[in-house]
Amino acid sequence: MSTENNKNKLVSEVMIPLEKFPVLKQKIIFKEALEAMSKYNLGIACIVSTDGILLGLVTDGDVRRKILKIQKPFSALFVDDALDHCIKQPVTIKSDAKLIDAIELMEKKHVWDLPVVNDSGKLLGLLHLHPAVKTILS
Amino acid sequence: MVSKIIEVGYGTVNKVRIGDKLPLVFIGGPCAIESKEHTFMMAKRVKDICDKLDIPWIFKACYDKDCRSAPDSFHGLGIEGGLKILSEVREEFGVPVTSDFSDPAWGDATGKVCDLVQVPAYLCRQTSILRAAALTKKPIHLKKGQFMSPWNMKNSVRKIESFGNDQVLLTDRGTFFGYNMLVNDFKCFPIMAETGYPVCFDATHSIQLPTSMGNISGGQREYIPHLVRGAVATGINALFMEVHNDPPNAMSDANTVLDIKYLERILAQAKHMHEQRIELLEKWGEDNVHREQ
Repeated sequence: MSTENNKNKLVSEVMIPLEKFPVLKQKIIFKEALEAMSKYNLGIACIVSTDGILLGLVTDGDVRRKILKIQKPFSALFVDDALDHCIKQPVTIKSDAKLIDAIELMEKKHVWDLPVVNDSGKLLGLLHLHPAVKTILS
Repeated sequence: MVSKIIEVGYGTVNKVRIGDKLPLVFIGGPCAIESKEHTFMMAKRVKDICDKLDIPWIFKACYDKDCRSAPDSFHGLGIEGGLKILSEVREEFGVPVTSDFSDPAWGDATGKVCDLVQVPAYLCRQTSILRAAALTKKPIHLKKGQFMSPWNMKNSVRKIESFGNDQVLLTDRGTFFGYNMLVNDFKCFPIMAETGYPVCFDATHSIQLPTSMGNISGGQREYIPHLVRGAVATGINALFMEVHNDPPNAMSDANTVLDIKYLERILAQAKHMHEQRIELLEKWGEDNVHREQ
């Protein structure tokens, strides 16, 4: 398959399915979110409502910034609701978007991951930069 | 932060609501149920003061003191006799009642009589007692252990919620400062309030010097008024104090209970300061400074 054809591939064909990246409940604490991110070896966790609606993201970058900014002890930070330290309105992409458009969006927004949502904001998957680029170049 | 409002009182007793910017609630009475006569006498005296000051209140007296320092210290009247007296206090005075319970097996019986079930500070992270408290379906008065950070109380709250109860009152009763000494960090109130639940200050246990007298606890109750003003000014929803008509001869916590002759002056100040605090917040804005981080 040519690179040109690959550019027409859709996000839905490459996105990571829900069970293969950290999708966390609303009441999760910060430490549990960090553990989930480490378990999946991804620098991102998505927090969803009971209906699966995306509520926010925790990323490695957010954690780094929090550590530098927040003056409370780690033992206190760890039990905060992860949602309190989330990006509440993250950049997202639809599953029927073209892969090449998604990659351009990542470049523009300086992000490595895009949560994939439907029109209701329900989380469907996660588009990670590496497999997206690999698919385009294959 | 706006706290959840919990309602204490079932059946025909007065309903006492705790939380947000509602009037300050007093939770008090003798440490232990010493006898029916003494318990009724104390309930009547506290009621008269709270009625005079127009302060909503909950009567507190325990039927079993399981954390005494010495093996021969007064342990209480026991669950059956003690709960019967508490039930009679409810009937007689129309006031909600509370007692702590130290054994998960006592939870069911305690919850059937008490309007508010108290989890002792030393047991505040024990899953079995938190489960028993939650299963009573009554509001839970959860005291912060002297060894606990205020933020770690969230773990106990999460346990209670996981057992299906979302009616919690979180209380500070001091934090260990080395051996035989407690201090109060009043930051604990806004920190514990971040759980979303109302918070309470236990003044008479905060001045305790735990087991400082060898086989019993001492206390510096001369500082109760100062700590009460500090806590109320910081921001609490309820105030807890144990009172007695004859502290030297109290059968439990003789060195920490407040002589009831001082109760009115302390409660009057607490009520006034609580109302002033709410007025000040309304005039000048809430305490949410530097919350953007």
